[in-house]
Parts: sequence; C-alpha cells; structure tokens
Amino acid sequence: MASTTPASSRTSPARPRSRRLRTKALGLCAALCLALPARAALPLPELSHSLTALKPARPAPDFALPDLDGKLHRLSDYRGKVVLVNFWATWCPPCRREMPSMERLRQQLDGEPFAILAIDQEETPDNVFVFTGQLDPAPGFPILIDRTSEVAPAWGVLGLPTSFLVDPRGRIVYRGMGGRDFDHPAMVETIRRLLEK
Amino acid sequence: MARARILAPLALLLALPAAAASPAAGQTATRDPDSGLFSWKKEDRGFSLELIQLYPDFVAALYSSRGLPPAVVDSMKDYCVFGTVAQNQSGGLLSYRVADWRYVTPDGQAHRLKTKPEWVAEWKKLGADFGWSILPADVSFDAGDWAQGFTTVRLPPGARFDLVYSWSHHGKHYTGKLENLACAPAQPPAAH
Repeated sequence: MASTTPASSRTSPARPRSRRLRTKALGLCAALCLALPARAALPLPELSHSLTALKPARPAPDFALPDLDGKLHRLSDYRGKVVLVNFWATWCPPCRREMPSMERLRQQLDGEPFAILAIDQEETPDNVFVFTGQLDPAPGFPILIDRTSEVAPAWGVLGLPTSFLVDPRGRIVYRGMGGRDFDHPAMVETIRRLLEK
Repeated sequence: MARARILAPLALLLALPAAAASPAAGQTATRDPDSGLFSWKKEDRGFSLELIQLYPDFVAALYSSRGLPPAVVDSMKDYCVFGTVAQNQSGGLLSYRVADWRYVTPDGQAHRLKTKPEWVAEWKKLGADFGWSILPADVSFDAGDWAQGFTTVRLPPGARFDLVYSWSHHGKHYTGKLENLACAPAQPPAAH
C-alpha cells in the first residue's frame, strides 16, 4: 500500500482553466481568511507534545475515504502498522501549525511500519490542495477528504484538531485534542514504543 | 458528575455578585498593534481561557468563503464573535460546559451563550452547518488537551460585558470571570 501521495500527481500541471481560476480564488480566499486570524491577535498556545493513553484501548472505527487523487484508503488496510489518524481542516489555526511537524515525524520514521492519515473535514480537494502547497515541508502522507464529516463522530471527535494513535492490532491507544508538536522527542518515543510491541 | 452538573448553574449564579465586585485578578489583556484588536486571558486552577476579538467582516468573510448559504452567514450578524482558546493545564482530567457559562451585561443581567449544538441545529435548518468553527460545548479534557473555536455573544459591536465561566476538576466545580470584555468595533480603525 502506498503510504505517500506522489508529488507529481499533487502538482496536476494540466488542469482546466475553470479549475485553475477556482483554485486561484480559493488561494486568495485562503490567504485572506487564514492570514487575518493571525493578524487579529489569535494566540499561539504552545503545542502539546503528549497524548493521553486510552485504557482500555478500544477498536478503531474503520473508514474508507479518498485522498486528493481520488484513491480510496481504508484504515483496516493499514493493520499491522501504527497509524496516526488526524482530524483537521485548512481554516483551523492549530491544525495548520501542527501539520509540518506531522511530515517531519513521517520522515523520521520512514521505513518503519508507521503511517499517517490526515482526514480533512468538510472541504473540497481544491481547498486542501491550495493549502498543502503552502506547507514546508509539504505533506508526504495521504490527506483524506471527508466532505460530510461522517467519520469524526464515530471517533468521538469534538473539536479540531484531534489526533489518535492506532496500534498494529487496530486499536486506539492514544488520543489528543488540540494541536500537537508531533516530532517532539517525547512524541516520537511514544510511537517508537508502540512500534516495538 | 451529574451532581456537579446540577449544582453548576447554581454555583454560577451565587458567584455572580461577588465576582462582579472583585478585581480581575490574574487576567491579562493584550492589544495587537497591527489589527487593534484585544484579547483577554485568565489562567486559574488548571484551566486557561482566552477570548480574542474578531471583526464582524472577518467572521462574515470566513463563513462566506466556505460556500455556506447566505442565510447561514446572516445568522451571525447579531452576534459578536470571539476566537476562543480553552486549555487544560491541570495535569489531570478537566471538563467544562458552555451551557453553564453566562455573559453579564452592564445592567447586571446574566445571559446564556449560544452553544455549538444550538448553532448546528439552527444552521441545519438553513441547509448547511459549519459546526467545527464553534468552540466545543461539552468537553472532558485530558492533560495537555486544548480546544479552539468561536464563542458567540448576542451583543452589538463595541458592547462591554463580563464572562462568568466554570469548569470541573477532580470532582470540584470552579468558577472564573473575565472582566470588562468588549466586542470588536464594527470596522477596523482607518489607516493613516
């Protein structure tokens, strides 16, 4: 199973004019809407670097969602791996802040049985495409689109971002609400311990 | 937990007069020099709450940019909206319910805040919803958890009020107060 979205397919060089215009408009809108909160003194609380262990662990509800290229990803296909499942949206400031650290985490654990699935809430692939193009580093993990937020309620998500660690047996073992610094050593250590089990 | 929920509104009401007479201990206010907008924050017994002014035009633009029906955008026009950050700094489990919170206007009247489920129910009747934008209404936080979203107060631009809020930690119910808050002005100050 591919755990990354090929860069070539994400750049989509030959899009129709209408889509390019829409993308440009969305980009302008995203820039305005997302820049304003920062200018409007939205605070930047320190990103947490711990997750709460769930005891007992509970089965992770399965889902099947498309990525930006339309490829379907089922959580159950990732059985045998530790999976970080992240619920987010492009307009959500802490979601934006934590996403580069998710990619740095992915790079640190490259080659390990580890995957990240970031589930965008109620946005179009165009919305997300514009946003991910602004990130450094750009996400190399699948970004899934849930246009109607069907998956989040089953996972008990109350706010964005919320993240879960799923163990190789398909159980939710850690949860965190609010932005996280995912490549913090404490976070990496938590995941490495799961990988070693 | 059920007992705490029953007692919470009572504790809140009892706290109102005393809180109204006390200074805003531990409260900080910050003005962003670029936007001119204020934010207010208080950290108290493991719970941190911050409210940040937002211009009405910004809120309308955010909702419009979602492609939501105009009726949904219009539904916000009678409310002043604050960016809100609630953080659990206690090291243990902590919970809050926005339904227990009140904003107190200068005439001494205490008013309920419109909660996320109430917004979602209204927006669904209008054909859409953007519930993720509103501060989660009923949350049990684990250590290190935090939430961010909009808090809505049915007041005009520039109106002043106090926010009396509450939370529970280790079976105890606490009340806090952010004093002398103000809705953002209708427009940003004119550039010179």
